[in-house]
Amino acid sequence: MKARGKILLVDDDPDFLEMHKAVLENHGYEVSTAASAQEGLGRVRAEMPDLIVLDLMMEKHDAGFSFCKTIKTDPLFRRIPILMVTSVAEATGYRFSFEEDGYWMKTDDFLDKPVPPDVLLDTVDKLLQKRKEQE
Amino acid sequence: MNTPGRILVVDDEMGIREGCRRVLAEEGYAIDLAEDGFIGLERALEKPYDLVLVDLMMPGIGGLDLIEKIHEIDPEIIMVVITGYASIETAVAATKRGAYDYLPKPFTPEALSVLVKRGLEKRELRLEAQKLYQDREQKLLELAGEKSRLRSIIGCMADGVLVTNREGQLVLWNAAAVKMLKLRGTDEPGKPPSHYITNQPLIESLEKIMDSKEDSVSMISREIPSGDQKSVLMVQMAPVQDEQGRLLGAVTVLRDITKLKEIDKIKSQFVSMVAHELRSPLAAIEGWLGLLLSGEVEKDEEQKRQWLSRAKERAQSLLALVQDLLEINKIEAGKVAQKMTPVQVFDILGKTVEFFKPEADKKNISIHMKGSASLPLVRADVQDMEKLFTNLISNAIKYNVEKGSITIETSLDSNYVGIHIHDTGIGISRDDLPRIFDDFFRAENSKMDKISGTGLGLTIAKKIVDSHFGHIEVKSEPNKGSTFSIYLPCRT
Repeated sequence: MKARGKILLVDDDPDFLEMHKAVLENHGYEVSTAASAQEGLGRVRAEMPDLIVLDLMMEKHDAGFSFCKTIKTDPLFRRIPILMVTSVAEATGYRFSFEEDGYWMKTDDFLDKPVPPDVLLDTVDKLLQKRKEQE
Repeated sequence: MNTPGRILVVDDEMGIREGCRRVLAEEGYAIDLAEDGFIGLERALEKPYDLVLVDLMMPGIGGLDLIEKIHEIDPEIIMVVITGYASIETAVAATKRGAYDYLPKPFTPEALSVLVKRGLEKRELRLEAQKLYQDREQKLLELAGEKSRLRSIIGCMADGVLVTNREGQLVLWNAAAVKMLKLRGTDEPGKPPSHYITNQPLIESLEKIMDSKEDSVSMISREIPSGDQKSVLMVQMAPVQDEQGRLLGAVTVLRDITKLKEIDKIKSQFVSMVAHELRSPLAAIEGWLGLLLSGEVEKDEEQKRQWLSRAKERAQSLLALVQDLLEINKIEAGKVAQKMTPVQVFDILGKTVEFFKPEADKKNISIHMKGSASLPLVRADVQDMEKLFTNLISNAIKYNVEKGSITIETSLDSNYVGIHIHDTGIGISRDDLPRIFDDFFRAENSKMDKISGTGLGLTIAKKIVDSHFGHIEVKSEPNKGSTFSIYLPCRT
């Protein structure tokens, strides 16, 4: 069976890499993982994934933002949808919303950690669908 | 007058004396008699009288002199002159010398009794007036004292105080207010607030409070910048009203809350950091459990067991974190919890090393204890020392390489016992070095190498050393190793 799509997971927490990988692979996606923004950028260039699931808070607090900026300003990669997952919202007392912060964060969707498996699958599915329609 | 009037009759004519006594005794007065001025004066010195009837023409001391002498004893005694020469001149002379009235001889009992009654009433009024006058004097004295006391109290206050009157003029202020608001021109009283105060928000508040409806009690509480813009002031402002609720002015109290704001900020930063640190493991646990419960992924029992143990590991790290937070709290709660006794740190070091032997063996790390077993004693809390060495030695193992080594040495100078723990581990980069004692800080390479930790171990170590009036130092070279040195004051 051909994979439903190639997904890159970027997260510095190995537990989330593993659990998201298990869910997505179980539903027929091809999944690769990266534990840092730097490794993630390498994998994007090498593998050209269909979608990226990115943790906002990585080794440095703005690593997620600069990762997004790099991808979204590169003509080769800017069409790859980025799903941001994070636990930053409550921790810092303010809440990101896609509507308000989406522009400069340049992500395509936004979820709070931990993401229930069905929500993760729905969102990934929706983003890939949207991308297909745009092509 | 409740007590009967006390009357002295001074006259050399016995008929007059006896006549007066009879008439006045009948009226219920207490009567004493004197046959000349000397005796009269003696009587007056012996006991108090309300009224003295005195004959002008007597041998020895004359009536006029007696009036003066008795008035020296009590100026409010009513002096009534009995005179045979009922002339204007004598009457005027007597009144000039302080007599109240005169009674021309011969007189009727009625005339005597009326005059005495009137005199006594006068006496009562005079005494009343005197009392009122004294009361007023006393009140004025008290008021003056109160005012200066109030100024002293307000002057001593660390909080700034400003009082404005109904016209909005500054009437009372203290040194703290001058300093906080950089008040100017306070030597020119009676000007509007803007003459003294440059702080616009404060002037606006003053206007607002003076504008408030008279029957409503209002109160303004706001934060404003200080005169030099460097600190934050909390302003409490309230109208001052009289008993009828009429506005008399406003009182403003200023408090410098800069430090409080800073502490508050540090506190919220810490809470936010703690919340984030707690949330990460909790989110992972929730994630694993969610995954298992969702049934999204059909996996074998072995796989599920593995996921559960991953969740358990995160739960354990969460527990360790909470444990460390409690530890920090305990240290910060202060010396109450500490039991300071003279201790031999070398012994505690030895025990801690023993405890970690199995863990070190697993990584083939050798531990060498050098240094003196007979160090001077240090005043310390044994549990704190155990925790301190545990944190440093477990770090030395965690961040060490396979087959590395740990060397523990001691040193001694005139004031401090030194303990030096040297490892051959991954070391700390120059960038990270200044931050390793910060709450929750974890060096980049430690995170990369998946070494578990709460990021509080060194925070706790530093807090323990600080609370023992010692200091902690670290030297490190990446990929060569680190040396943590603790210096504790010796017991002399």
